[in-house]
Amino acid sequence: MKWTQWLEEQKTVATILINSLEQSRLGHAYLFTGQKGTGKREVARHLARSFFCRNKNGIEPCGTCRDCRRIDSGNHPDVVVIRPDGRSIKKQQIADLIKAFSYRGVESERKFFIVEQVDLMTAQAANSLLKFMEEPDGQTVCVLITENVHAVLETIVSRCQVLTFKPLPPEKMKRRLIGEGVAPAMAATVTALTADYEEAKALAGDEWFAKARSVVINYMEELFAQPQRAMMTMYEQCATHFTDSNRLHIGLDLMLIWFRDVLSLQTGRPEAVVFTDRLERLNAIADMIFMERTASGLAAVLAAKRRLNANGHPLSVLEQLALRLEEGAVSHV
Amino acid sequence: MNGRIIFHIDMNSFYASVEAVHHPEWRGKPLAIAGKVEERRGIVVTASYEARAKGVKAPMPVWEARRRCPELIVKTPDFELYREASRQLFSLLKTYTPLVEKVSIDEGYMDATELARRVHPLRLAEDIQKRLLDELELPSSIGIAPNKFLAKMASDMKKPLGITVLRKRDVPKKLWPLPIADMHGVGAKTAEKLTAIGIRTIGDLAAADKAQIAALLGQYGEMLHERANGRDARPVDPEAEAVFKSISQSTTLPEDIVSEEEARRVFQRLAVRLSERLKKKRSVAYQAAITIRYANWQTTSHGKTVHQPLQSPQELAAIAVRLFAEHWDGRPIRLLGISVQSLEDAARATKQLDLFTYQTDAKEEPLLEAIQRLEAKYGAPVVQKGVARGQAAFKKAQADGARTPPPSPRPKQSRHEHSESEAEERPDSENESHA
Amino acid sequence: MALATSSIAGESGLLMKLTVYRDALAENVNHVMKAVSPRTTIPILTGIKLEATPEGLTLTGSDSDVSIQAFIPLEEDGVQKIEIHQPGSIVLIARYFADIVKKLPNDQVDIEVDSRFVTRIRSGQAEFSLNGLDAEEYPRLPVIRADNVVPIRKDLLKQVIRQTVYAVSTSETRPVLTGANWAIKNGRLTCVATDSHRLAKRVVAVDVDPAVEYKNVVIPGKSLNELGKILDDNGNDWVDIAITSNQILFKTDNIQFFSRLLEGNYPETDGLIPRDAKTEIILNTKEFLQAIDRASLLAREERNNVVKLKTFEAEKRVEIISQSPEIGRVYESVPVIDHSGEEMRISFSSKYMMDALTRIDAEEIKVTFTGAMKPFLIRPLDDDNILMLILPIRTN
Repeated sequence: MKWTQWLEEQKTVATILINSLEQSRLGHAYLFTGQKGTGKREVARHLARSFFCRNKNGIEPCGTCRDCRRIDSGNHPDVVVIRPDGRSIKKQQIADLIKAFSYRGVESERKFFIVEQVDLMTAQAANSLLKFMEEPDGQTVCVLITENVHAVLETIVSRCQVLTFKPLPPEKMKRRLIGEGVAPAMAATVTALTADYEEAKALAGDEWFAKARSVVINYMEELFAQPQRAMMTMYEQCATHFTDSNRLHIGLDLMLIWFRDVLSLQTGRPEAVVFTDRLERLNAIADMIFMERTASGLAAVLAAKRRLNANGHPLSVLEQLALRLEEGAVSHV
Repeated sequence: MNGRIIFHIDMNSFYASVEAVHHPEWRGKPLAIAGKVEERRGIVVTASYEARAKGVKAPMPVWEARRRCPELIVKTPDFELYREASRQLFSLLKTYTPLVEKVSIDEGYMDATELARRVHPLRLAEDIQKRLLDELELPSSIGIAPNKFLAKMASDMKKPLGITVLRKRDVPKKLWPLPIADMHGVGAKTAEKLTAIGIRTIGDLAAADKAQIAALLGQYGEMLHERANGRDARPVDPEAEAVFKSISQSTTLPEDIVSEEEARRVFQRLAVRLSERLKKKRSVAYQAAITIRYANWQTTSHGKTVHQPLQSPQELAAIAVRLFAEHWDGRPIRLLGISVQSLEDAARATKQLDLFTYQTDAKEEPLLEAIQRLEAKYGAPVVQKGVARGQAAFKKAQADGARTPPPSPRPKQSRHEHSESEAEERPDSENESHA
Repeated sequence: MALATSSIAGESGLLMKLTVYRDALAENVNHVMKAVSPRTTIPILTGIKLEATPEGLTLTGSDSDVSIQAFIPLEEDGVQKIEIHQPGSIVLIARYFADIVKKLPNDQVDIEVDSRFVTRIRSGQAEFSLNGLDAEEYPRLPVIRADNVVPIRKDLLKQVIRQTVYAVSTSETRPVLTGANWAIKNGRLTCVATDSHRLAKRVVAVDVDPAVEYKNVVIPGKSLNELGKILDDNGNDWVDIAITSNQILFKTDNIQFFSRLLEGNYPETDGLIPRDAKTEIILNTKEFLQAIDRASLLAREERNNVVKLKTFEAEKRVEIISQSPEIGRVYESVPVIDHSGEEMRISFSSKYMMDALTRIDAEEIKVTFTGAMKPFLIRPLDDDNILMLILPIRTN
């Protein structure tokens, strides 16, 4: 994405950075805060591209030169990225970072540092980082990234220019996904599941997830069209696809979306439907069953999620849910 | 050295016993102290006798300990607690005589020669053991012998809560049959070497040719040979514990502080007081630590060993501030403290000067030169006199102490009260307290 | 936008094609492997870069701190080493490439790279196919202009390294002191290293335009030690040095050694070296060193390896004493060739003294004291270009 696009996505942040770049007055230390998926990492990388690209159009990096390409591939020797290895930033990583601070650049005097999830740093690590941030020289830029600014040492926050990234509105996220070639119905589905753009994009491209979506839709439709066969479908398709707790959570989330879609149609809000590719069948079912039935279906799925959270066995959770849904379906046909 | 009576007091599974004091519900149950309980790799540091009975011993991985004893209670070590118990333990011992030498956190020697003139050594040992158990709730084993080595071997012979007398004449019967590896001072390596030349028991060593042992193990071997024969002339040296001694200065803050700058000022103030006390003791320190107590009473401690001795307020404040900068996690602070350890006689301390700061030290050079001139003129003793007299006075005080009759059992000490010998741990002003 | 060169394939559809003698290749791969580290956070640095030009083949290995380039010319001493059929470049995973090259069966090796970076290595009946990486991803090393180099004799450079680098700091508390500070002015190269407890300084004349000036070139001690190791005693006698704003380059024969420089300003040390003298003694280096060495046997590291030195003017000798209450005492008397000024009593680290004496390369030395709490200097009797400084130990 270009700076002009970031200006639309993250107006405040992009405005400040664009102005600094235009006036060649980039700060030494930035702290990017904001929810997951709001573009903090991408903006940090884009800033690095603008910092190194020798083929810029104004402040916009070309994206194709050696510097830009190596920033993308992780091969730029003067762009140092520290990413937590597991639950914390390891001592060795901090030692590497400090070493990189104390050496001049490989290709020029310019160096760019990105520290992700800086809140996971130990106080000791953060304080040693601080020591180097206190005496910056003109050629070094350090971007610290966190989703949890309150967990970052106050002494660090106070030495950085803090830039807060706004959460991405769902409608915008959906449009962005569609813009990247995701089918509209799939874009709507993943947007309903997560507010994190990166996660959404990954889900949209995931084969297992695509299958999960069709398995759930197929099962739900069958539940109301041919309830006597639904239990079989559950065993054959749902149980074999949602094999562990994490997977079943996604399956249950998809069932929730399905019931919500029915409810949306029953309450006269067709624009809220997520599974737009199944609109015809959803409409038929919405006409066929009572709204109470839809609500109790939702309740059954939510109850299943709770059981799953309480360490219920995935298969038994699924079986119990199927029984409850089937009773309701049969009695209302 | 004839006719000495030396006690070796050895606490029984000390860490576990201290934990049981603080967790009465754990008494009589198998308990193990282990690092990193949450991790499978944790190792048992010490185990209560109940746990040992089930086959749990140190050093054993926690998973194995749990396998042998599924009902095992495993606790992470709380060294602050153990140090505090150790302080109480030694101040109790010193109520009998100042001739107490701390060997480690949980064992020490006592020269009871003088005391034994009025109390039978066995009664004395029973009294000590009973008071340790009554007042501190800590079990101990005591060895009574004519020297340190035999006392140490004796205290090992009956545990827990044993009292063992090992007279010179008991040596052939009680000491010599023991395997050589059980001898205090013989490690695995030494034992291996000795076994290789056919020495399997302490008796074998005692009977061996001293020159042969010396050829095998050097001077150390000669010493072991002496000890195997029940000879050990080392005096009980109360000063030996100096290395373990720590002086600390801390302050509870009138209001929680939240900035490095405020903390720096507090440390500077504490450093001035600490430095005065170090100077008064003619000591320098090679270890320093800071204590931070947060507003939620969580207390952390961070230390550092240094190569150059610490004594001046500047040096103490600098290291404290550095430790603080490295370890403070940004939360409001209720108490700050500095402590120093690894104390040494200042006269023996050396300091490697630094190119970028030597000028401050060089300022003292004229004084040093004056001393050197005096030394040249009158010989070394003149300038050493101050120190020498200090030591003489100390020796005299010891002798005086030894002549005083043992005090009658004191009223039970509360955990927060401190005996005279720990004056330096005491709060020195209204808003200061010990950590 | 410029097209990336590696995407330009030759008429054959190949990115690069050459034939090289195995031994020349193996030898040079071996040189550049010294800079490759298995522990790198930059993926491309797991590889060796091969760049074929009409002049020959350049190999590069790097751990980003130190980079080594080796060049195989078309021919050397009239013997053909390599034939370039199609100029181009590729990065090959160092571990595999180095092992393969060593074990190839035939004297000749054919290497060709297709447009998808797949690299075929043929020798006799053996044929390897390795997945290569885009050479455009590899770090760009500074390109040096020939008119900008400082030539220095190789043996002199080795001596400079040996006489100074030992004194760099090993502690990260002040990173700039982990390097040696080089400066060039008035045709003289000055090298200084200090860990703040001792300092070593060496000045050598270099053959450059007196107007050439460099300062605050701080080279990591680690790099200089590496360089010292690869400077062999044969081959060309000269090394060309080139300095850029971020790297320094040492060029010898067909090998180029690059090191990143350290960030930050090296502290000013000239003002800290005493100029006046209170006591000056002249000693035989070997005698003095041996006496210190013996005295150090009883010096303890926890006590800063302290030994005490007393000078006696009339008796023309120095006493060296070391004692520790736990171990014992040693006493040495060493004759001095000359003693001028006041008698001096001073304590210092025997280790630092030995470090200096073993590197000073002079039969007789001059030791200059200005006070028991001030740095003292050790210099060869008649050579002001070498200076070893030691800070004393304060005893009470």
